Amino acid sequence: MSGWRAFGAWALVSLGLAGCGGGSSGTPAAPVTPPVAAAANVVDVHVDAGPDPVNHPTINTLYTTVTVCVPGNAAQCQRIDHIQVDTQSYGLRLLAPVLTLSLPVSKATDGNSLVECTQFADGYSWGPVATADIQIAGEMAAAVPIQLIGSANFSTVPAACSSAGPAENTVAAFGANGILGIGAFVQDCPGCDINSGAYYSCTPTACSPIVATLNSQVANPVAFFAGDNNGVIITLPAVAAAGAATVSGSLIFGVDTQADNASGAQTVLTLNSGADFTTAFNGQTLTRSFIDSGSNGIYFNDSAIPACPNQAVFYCPPGNLMFTATLTGQNGTSTTQSFVVANARSLQNANPSFTALPGVAGTFVASSTSFDWGLPFFFGRRVATVISGDATSAGQGPYVAF
Amino acid sequence: MATRSIRLIERLVLCAAVLAVAVLPAQARAALGEPAASASRDADELHGAIKSTQRSSYRVHEIRLPSGTILREFSTLDGPVFAVAWNGPAMPNLRQALGRYFDDYVRAAESNHGRRHFQMQNDRFVMQSSGRMRAFSGRAFLPGAIPAGVTVDELQ
Repeated sequence: MSGWRAFGAWALVSLGLAGCGGGSSGTPAAPVTPPVAAAANVVDVHVDAGPDPVNHPTINTLYTTVTVCVPGNAAQCQRIDHIQVDTQSYGLRLLAPVLTLSLPVSKATDGNSLVECTQFADGYSWGPVATADIQIAGEMAAAVPIQLIGSANFSTVPAACSSAGPAENTVAAFGANGILGIGAFVQDCPGCDINSGAYYSCTPTACSPIVATLNSQVANPVAFFAGDNNGVIITLPAVAAAGAATVSGSLIFGVDTQADNASGAQTVLTLNSGADFTTAFNGQTLTRSFIDSGSNGIYFNDSAIPACPNQAVFYCPPGNLMFTATLTGQNGTSTTQSFVVANARSLQNANPSFTALPGVAGTFVASSTSFDWGLPFFFGRRVATVISGDATSAGQGPYVAF
Repeated sequence: MATRSIRLIERLVLCAAVLAVAVLPAQARAALGEPAASASRDADELHGAIKSTQRSSYRVHEIRLPSGTILREFSTLDGPVFAVAWNGPAMPNLRQALGRYFDDYVRAAESNHGRRHFQMQNDRFVMQSSGRMRAFSGRAFLPGAIPAGVTVDELQ
């Protein structure tokens, strides 16, 4: 097979809280299109093959670069590339093996170390909470709780965490050098209690579940910026049906805070506490629908579309299929959007080096109420995600707009 | 069309059966592939509250986990658990729920890491899982053990 693992084995996954990939912090591939951005609230984002393009190439995975510093010490900083941009999680998580800085580990309410179990559809990441100053473009978030995944100092994982599946604690396993969760909420587990399985208090020899206070939880750094802190806008160019080798765009901080992030006439879909709106598709009313830069395709259920042979999570129709669906916010505002489902395998075979593929779609397994508008939705659009409780000229978060 | 018609009939039959659902006393549960009545493992070890109901040709044992996630185990009327399904804010203890199949899942996921949508199958076992922060759903089943007339779609 080519290096496209996502299409190359019978166990198939999509990339959610991270892409696939490996290796260490390196230089991102040069984007085809020069970055548009130079403003202090804009950082370049790109779709490429990931941090380890030879061994673990990724598709439809959006990356950026962040700088983390020891809190209060601008002389001790590290710039880390290939951080996945994810609008459906909250907070910065770094793979500890990439980090050369020593960041202070947070304390749980009982004085022990605060450690988090982050679950995914197919495994978990484990590591302590630490605080860092985070610089992205010209923005700075001071003393933000982040997660250090795979820290060697916290190698004993409680069984309740590891029971989610395999560990994703290394760059190779996690598939990125980190992930930047910039969704429509701030903390990563505000409703959690002692039974939620997210946070643990750890001594050097043992861990036990604990409730993490809101202020100690891993949190969306955008909310910690001095300004431009009410949300983000992701802009990506349209991509040809056959795909593109790489794509470059912008992550803009703030909405209606600068000349470059005005709301304009976008359609605003407000969200519920689960970050969901409703999608009407093919006679179904899917009340748990979401827009997700961290998914590598459009995921929904349509049993009439053939799955890829031995790769059942992706669709492989004989030719391109055009669909429309109507998205309706909690505010009742609706918009009808079209999307294309291509043969994922044919796309791959036609251009094995392409990493941006608009037609990749697949089955949203085991949910009859969900529609996942993944990264292909962002191609050719300007998508805003506004944080819960924050206001813009277009409304109050949580909302998405495009 | 043919497939959908068959499914419709199956659903009508199922609906009729569900109308006559009886809430049974809590029974012992077990992992995928294990006899439903052979061990009181899952609910006890997972500290969950159980409710069992009978459908046409199988039983559903619903365990409300402390995390808030609902874990459902589907067993034949007289035999093994042929499917498990979950939905909620946290992943269930899959080592417990998948039992002897957990290692199959781990091997498959290790060789193909992802985060949001995962699907695997081998000659005896199918596992499907989706999840983002605070919203997980999935199912695992033994295709060869699903009672006749039961569709995968109802296993959730």
